[in-house]
Amino acid sequence: MKIEILYPHHCNLFGDLSNMDYLKKCLPQAQFVETHLNQEPLFVREKVDMVYLGPMTERTQELVLERLRPYKDRLWELVGQNTLFLFTGNALELMGEYIVKDDGSRINCLGIFPLYAKRDMMHRHNSIFLGSFQGQPVMGFKSQFTMAFPKSKDLELFPVEKGVGLNKKCSFEGIRHGNFFGTYLLGPILLLNPPFTRHLLQCLGAGDVPLALEEEVQAAYEKRLADFKAKA
Amino acid sequence: MKRSLRFYLALFFAKGTARVMKLVGRKGTSMPGSWAIILCPDFLGRMPRPKTVIGITGTNGKTTVSNLVEDVLTQCDYDFVCNRAGTNVATGVASSLIANSTLLGKPKKDLAVFELDERSSPRILPFLKPDILLVTNLFRDSYKRNAHVEFIQDILNTYIPDSTRLVLNADDLLCASLKPDNRRVFFGIDPLPGEKTGLPNIVQDVRTCPHCGEPLEWDLRRYHHVGRAHCPRCGFSSPQPKYRVTALDKRHSRMTTQGVEGPQEFTLPNTSLINVYNALSAVSLLAEFGLTKDRIAQCMERLTIVESRYNEEEVGGRKLILHLAKGQNPIACSQACGNARQYPGKKAVLLFLDDAHDAAHSVENTSWLYDTDFELLNDPSVVQVVTAGPRHWDSYVRLLMAGIPQERLAHEEDPLEAAQLLELTQPDAVFVLYDLYSVDLSKQVKAKLHERLGTVPPKERVSQEEEGAGDEN
Repeated sequence: MKIEILYPHHCNLFGDLSNMDYLKKCLPQAQFVETHLNQEPLFVREKVDMVYLGPMTERTQELVLERLRPYKDRLWELVGQNTLFLFTGNALELMGEYIVKDDGSRINCLGIFPLYAKRDMMHRHNSIFLGSFQGQPVMGFKSQFTMAFPKSKDLELFPVEKGVGLNKKCSFEGIRHGNFFGTYLLGPILLLNPPFTRHLLQCLGAGDVPLALEEEVQAAYEKRLADFKAKA
Repeated sequence: MKRSLRFYLALFFAKGTARVMKLVGRKGTSMPGSWAIILCPDFLGRMPRPKTVIGITGTNGKTTVSNLVEDVLTQCDYDFVCNRAGTNVATGVASSLIANSTLLGKPKKDLAVFELDERSSPRILPFLKPDILLVTNLFRDSYKRNAHVEFIQDILNTYIPDSTRLVLNADDLLCASLKPDNRRVFFGIDPLPGEKTGLPNIVQDVRTCPHCGEPLEWDLRRYHHVGRAHCPRCGFSSPQPKYRVTALDKRHSRMTTQGVEGPQEFTLPNTSLINVYNALSAVSLLAEFGLTKDRIAQCMERLTIVESRYNEEEVGGRKLILHLAKGQNPIACSQACGNARQYPGKKAVLLFLDDAHDAAHSVENTSWLYDTDFELLNDPSVVQVVTAGPRHWDSYVRLLMAGIPQERLAHEEDPLEAAQLLELTQPDAVFVLYDLYSVDLSKQVKAKLHERLGTVPPKERVSQEEEGAGDEN
């Protein structure tokens, strides 16, 4: 099993690489490949089982877009082949149509999914989120300058129970298309949400492999969930 | 900006508020400044500034450095206004200026020294226009407030006035690249005899050349992105500092610096690397302000670190160390973990890092735990780690992810009960790492541990000649 981590030195702002560290513990036999900005992604030349991309600064976003643009068709092909993708934070915006900057200008994105994002660098949005995935609670933290505006409800990932979705009026957080998962939830989302992680492992073909630190992660999830329900 | 009727109304109301606050015995509040800015949003721009304004900002160390600078200036008989008792945001600065003014707002003192929150720069710097601004360093900080370092760097580049003279950290490439057209001097620490590359860190926000994007080559990396680097492609390199530490004598708590006036020795309040940078930055700023090196050195003989940030005492042959670790600030917290690891002998560590403010109103974003180097506590010399606070299950999972053996770990929500879980016979030192919002709680924990340490059989002290004391940020 091959898992490609795209640009880990640049796309890791909020402890996000912990998701990959956790997968390494869950899947000790898997091969993790790090691709850096000056390298061609592994998914271009061979089939990988999963591609991960974390949040990045606004300037890095433009740099990463230019690195990925030549491989837009290949990305679309892999999405169509049900390759597992996990894009967290503003990484999900790259798969949309464009990003509107503060001055009204646009950055053209890969145009794979029908959504756009709008930046507001003067107002940072911070919130806690409680939603669900296949009937199980999902929770996380949001801290971002952008909101995304999907053009189709078919992209829904996590229906909102408490908190803010892709934008303040959107009824869902994150986007999903087949095995492409993109969410603004930051940081160690796989450690924070064992039911969601179990589903991703199944998508990877790992079956019912036990989670690493399963008891502790589950106990932390339940304690946190009580807090989210009380305070979100 | 001209003084308007609105300005005077705001000033009089703020002065009245300050008078009332004084009568009810509340000091150091930023309420007068808050009212002034509510009533007159551009109050800071209209308020006359002292003749000379010194600003001190940066992610870590700005409180310590401000205190050092102010203590030296006090010993040198300078009469100045500062925001030491208040806050480092716009309302705190406004409160200090109001307190330092006549009825009509004229400054009573000609010199101001302000610690400035870097995130608040847009609301302060264009109005205050510091003559000299020291930037200690730029690192990741609270994700909610500061987002990421590029954002803070952009804010500083936009709002630092072109006329401001800068004192910058040559060993921090993010800091060193600020406002390239401003007048500037750099400070830095030379590679010291026997110095090795620092312990590995999760976060390293500078990895590529800012000019051509090529991966940088590190001549020496001390921690995170602090060190000396060069680009193998375009020749870019860390700038040459004007003020350099050339030797460090930890045993006698002294550093030797080389500046324009030749070598000089300075006493250090604390010899950890972070505090050597803090002391050096204070010396550089004071020298740029115009003090002679001899005078600075004379005043630094008597300086100490504020007790609420670092406190060390001995109970029954064991050290009890209270160390501010700043929750939600992964760099400051990593430094605290590194200090605990490097302290001589066997250590037990109690962590309560949750943000009490967040815990009261929300659920704390725990992502920062995964940018913090808890791996540094995974060392045979750290015999036990106990974690406490509302998010104790999350921090416990984080410590397990750091590879710390389960048998060395314990966790409990209440920090006072967690203090009971510490096994005190084996360690030579007990570290208590606490968040800024838990200073009062840390005192209760200290009292409890003091009492417990008094009941365990005394231990012979280990030698502390090799390593200096801890650090604060």
